[in-house]
Order: sequence, then structure tokens, then C-alpha cells
Amino acid sequence: MSLIQVKDLYKIYQMGNTEVRALDGVSVSIDQNEYVSIMGPSGSGKSTLMNLLGCLDTPTSGEFFMDGINVATMGDDELAHIRNKKIGFVFQTFNLLPKSTSLRNVELPLIYNGEIKAHERRDMAIKALTRVNLGDRVSHKPNELSGGQRQRVAVARALVNNPAIILADEPTGNLDSKTGEEIMSLFDELHKQGNTIILVTHEEHIAAHASRVVRLLDGKIAVDEATEKGKK
Amino acid sequence: MKSFFWENLRIALSELWGHKTRSILTGTGIVIGIIAVSLMSTLINGVDGLFEESMKFLGRGNLYVEKWPWFGDEDWWTLRNRPRIELEMADEIKERSQYAMVVAAERGRSANLSYKELSAENIYIHGVTANYPEVSTVDVEFGRFFTESEDRTGAQVVLLGSEVAKTLFPQGNPIDKMIFAGSKRFRVIGVLAEMGKFMGAFSNDTQVIIPLATFNKIFHGPWGRRSITVKVPEHLVEDAKEELRGVVRVLRGLKPEEKDNFAINQQNAFRQSYQGIKLAIGGTGMIITALSLLVGGIGIANIMFVSVKERTREIGVRKALGATRRQIQGQFLIEAMVITASGGLVGLIISTIISMAISEFLFPANMSFGVAFMAIALSAGVGLFAGLAPARKGAKLDPIEALRYE
Repeated sequence: MSLIQVKDLYKIYQMGNTEVRALDGVSVSIDQNEYVSIMGPSGSGKSTLMNLLGCLDTPTSGEFFMDGINVATMGDDELAHIRNKKIGFVFQTFNLLPKSTSLRNVELPLIYNGEIKAHERRDMAIKALTRVNLGDRVSHKPNELSGGQRQRVAVARALVNNPAIILADEPTGNLDSKTGEEIMSLFDELHKQGNTIILVTHEEHIAAHASRVVRLLDGKIAVDEATEKGKK
Repeated sequence: MKSFFWENLRIALSELWGHKTRSILTGTGIVIGIIAVSLMSTLINGVDGLFEESMKFLGRGNLYVEKWPWFGDEDWWTLRNRPRIELEMADEIKERSQYAMVVAAERGRSANLSYKELSAENIYIHGVTANYPEVSTVDVEFGRFFTESEDRTGAQVVLLGSEVAKTLFPQGNPIDKMIFAGSKRFRVIGVLAEMGKFMGAFSNDTQVIIPLATFNKIFHGPWGRRSITVKVPEHLVEDAKEELRGVVRVLRGLKPEEKDNFAINQQNAFRQSYQGIKLAIGGTGMIITALSLLVGGIGIANIMFVSVKERTREIGVRKALGATRRQIQGQFLIEAMVITASGGLVGLIISTIISMAISEFLFPANMSFGVAFMAIALSAGVGLFAGLAPARKGAKLDPIEALRYE
């Protein structure tokens, strides 16, 4: 079975008298160690799909299995646990806690895990920061770091819980192109190490890093194909 | 769950440290509230102690037959027109009452005293029977009390209160010296031990005691206090009071339909009256105190709402990383409780210092462990109460909305 199995997923909002079909019957499956880009113009349902895949939201109807678990019908707290254990988020705006050090930021998912002792948390967080080449920045706060470094802290935070998928939403959107490329090569590296990565972007050259691209239009999947890199 | 408590405590402390001025201002409301609560309770305890101390002057088993009731709302003119107490009744009461163990009679008025060129003005002269020590707390420090025969014969002997002795005999021994009360000469036969003040005002140390017969011989006229003290077993005091009422009515020849024209006073009257006052003052104080804590609590709730709003995005991040509603709610609740509990602690320290000062200069008022415990529990409770609504609001935020919040 695939890592992510989505079938006939609908997300419908009621806006006054009109019905907005943000997702209008989406079916997609993503395997272990895939590298997928999700693309589409604004209003295409890209963000909605990402929120659903990130277990931040629940669908109106449809099936959604992650790692064999049915998450479509889960409640708030169960979703929180799934997010904590199965998903690593990387956001466009980094979303680090500004008053906490890199170490504390990276430790955060482990704290909410609730089963990891303090000294283990520390070790795991340092290891994750070392993986993104920030082993020497553990006690820096976000405002003492460059944009690229901040995003790398965020990547370390996404990695630290050893999640099933890393979900990156426009991870280079707030970075200059050179730093963006650095972050993308970090993702490439993580993919090579066996991680499953889902990338939401509207930039073709960023999407090209993935081996598969899913294009959404009006809440439906318009294209689902291998990229140049994936064809090789 | 335990690890989240420490984590949340850590978040709360760093958050409060990050907003020092705001935290201090918010906590001040609680500080004031807790000072009010703990001082109020401490003062009431102190006044209680003072009252009990004073009550020792009036024996628990003593009934006082007097013209005027100590408390009550009877018509002043009716009371005024009552006949004065015939002290001669004392012997009859002793004979007729089954409960009476000792019956003593006393009168009193003020006069000026002098010894050589020294004088003491407006001194309360107490004419009592020889059994007076048995119904009161007077204690002879030097010399002796007068005897029955000295009372019967109207001997001109006097015992001085400790203050009076100090005034008239700054140095030297007053025993066997002759002092003047008005134009009469009295021989000092004893000095009373220091007794302190009754209800913090009237002091027995500024009185002198002479035999009742001597008093009757020298001071004529209706003025001054007259009282018969009947000592009865403490546990039978209510029965004895009824019996005594009957005895005095018979002695006064009152008809069944006539009202009492005398009062039987007892310590209980003070006690009841005091309880009433205490309840009124304590109750009012508690309401004011509760209000000040409520105001403090509203301040905390307000700040917590602001804090939740400001940290919407942080809440979104925490939720995305796997924080449950409960964990977010706990984070803000603990933050509120840290403010109030620290405020409570500071308030407690300040009120301990104030109550120590009161003890030093006014009257004994010691902060009890119970009061301290209550203050801390109460302040944490206010935090819980004030933090609940903001914490709920934060916990319920939709992570998607929260992450998007600017």
C-alpha cells in the first residue's frame, strides 16, 4: 500500500448561498521516498490539498489513508498526534518561535511527542541541526540567523521527529534565488537519504527538483506526470 | 502529562520574563487583593485574641446584677428610672440561690488622691466586699487584701492599682503610708499586680480598692456604679441566670406582670455583641477583598486575551507541530496561574511584614499558617478562573487560520 492514499477527496465550503468546491474529487497516491511537487494557480485548491495532506484540516468527504491509518474521520487531538509523529512541516515564512533558540525550536515537536526524555530530545535536536549544517548555531535565536539559516532550522525541526513525509509549502518563497537553491539542494539530499517529500510551489524551476508533479486546476487534478528529472 | 507541566511552566516563565513591565503591572492587582485578604483575616484573628484576653476580666461564670444592661435596645428613660441596686441584697441572694458560690457587692466613683505633694486625679475608687478577689482577676502584688472584719468595721485601708502606686510613690514602698482621698486618710495595705487594659481601653491599673462599708460611710448619694457579682458554676450559668432573676424579682417584690427593673449581665452579652460586630466588619471586609481580587482577576483575564491574540501565530505553529488543545490550554492556564501565584506570594510577604508591624505597635496579629495557605490557594484559584476563558480561546484556534495570522 502507498504511503499516502487519497480517494475522491472533496472539500466544500458554503459561502452564503454559493458552494465553493475547493477540492472536487481528488484521487492521488504517493509512495514511500517519492519526491512530489504540487502546483497550480491560486484558487486551484493547492493550499486546501496541502492542509489536508498535512492533517491540519479534515475533508468534507473522501478517503485519506496515511501510512495505513484512516485520517479522514479523525478528531482534533488525533490529528495533532498524526501531525506530530508523521508529518514534518516547512513553511514559506519559516514560522520559528522568535524568542527561542534553534535548539528549542527544533526540540518542539519532540516535546509534544511526550515520550522522549529531555536529554534525548537535546541529542536528537542537535543531530537534526547538524544534518542541515547548523551544528554551530544551536544557541542562536532566529533574529541572529540569516533567512537561509532560519529555513534550515525549520527543516531540522521538520526532520527531528523522523516523520513519514516532509511537507514543504513554498519553502523558497521568502528567500533570494541563491539561498533558495541551497535549500532545494538540502531537500534533494534528504530525498536521497530516503525521505518522502511533498513540495507545494508555483515556480517551475523549484518544482523541477521533484521527480513527479501534480498540477491542480479548479479543485481537480489536471496533470499528474513525471518531471524531466523523474524520467531519467 | 507531567512533562508538559514543566514545559508549560518554562514557556510561562520565559513569556512573563519577556514582558516584565506588563507582568508586574498585572500581578500588582493580585498583590493588592492578597494583601487585603490576608491582612483582613490576620486582623480579625488578632482582634479575636485581644477580645479573649479582655474577657478574662469577666469570669465566665459571673453574673452581674446591675441597673443598666450592658447591651440592648431598651428605652433609656425606662432604664434611667429603675431603682438603684440595693447592695444589701447580696446576703439575701447568697442565702436563696442554689447556684451562687460567691456573692460580692461593689460600688464605684471617681475621686482625687494625694500623697504629700503628689496627687493623682480622677482615680476610680472601687468599694468592694472582702470576697471580691474570688469573683475577679485582681491580684495583690505587695501587701495584702483587706479582711472581712476590716470591711465590716469600715476600716480606712486601701489597695492601689499599679499605675496609681507608680504615680503617688515613684520611689519607695507605699505599704503602710497614709494617702488622702478627698479629706479622708487611708492606710495603704497593698498594691495590685499590673493587669493591662480591658478591651484595649479601660484599665484596672488606674483604680484603687477600699472596703465597701468604708465606701458607704464616706461617699453618700446615689451616684456611681453599683453591682452585685454572683459567681456560679460555669457550665450552669444559663440556669443560674434564670434562678437569679427569680430571686431578685422576689427580693424586689415585683408582681408577675411587671417587667424586670434590673439587669443581669454576663460575659456572653459581650461575646454576642462582639460576634455581631465581628461578623459585620469581617463580612464587609471580605466583600471588599473579594471585589479587589475580582478586579485583579479581570485584569489577568484581559492580559491573557491580549497574549493569546498576540501569539496566534505561535499557537498555529505549536498546533502544526502536534500540540493538542489540552496542551495549548494548559500553557495559557499555567501562565495565568504563575502571574497570580507569584502575585499572591509577594502579597503574602508584604502582609506578613505589615502584620508584624501591627503586632509590634498595636496589638498581637500574627499571620497564621492557615491564612498563608488560603492566600496562596486563593491566588492560584483566581489565575485558574481568569485564565480559563482566554486559554480556551487559544486552544480552539484553527491551526490553518492561526498560521496565516499576521
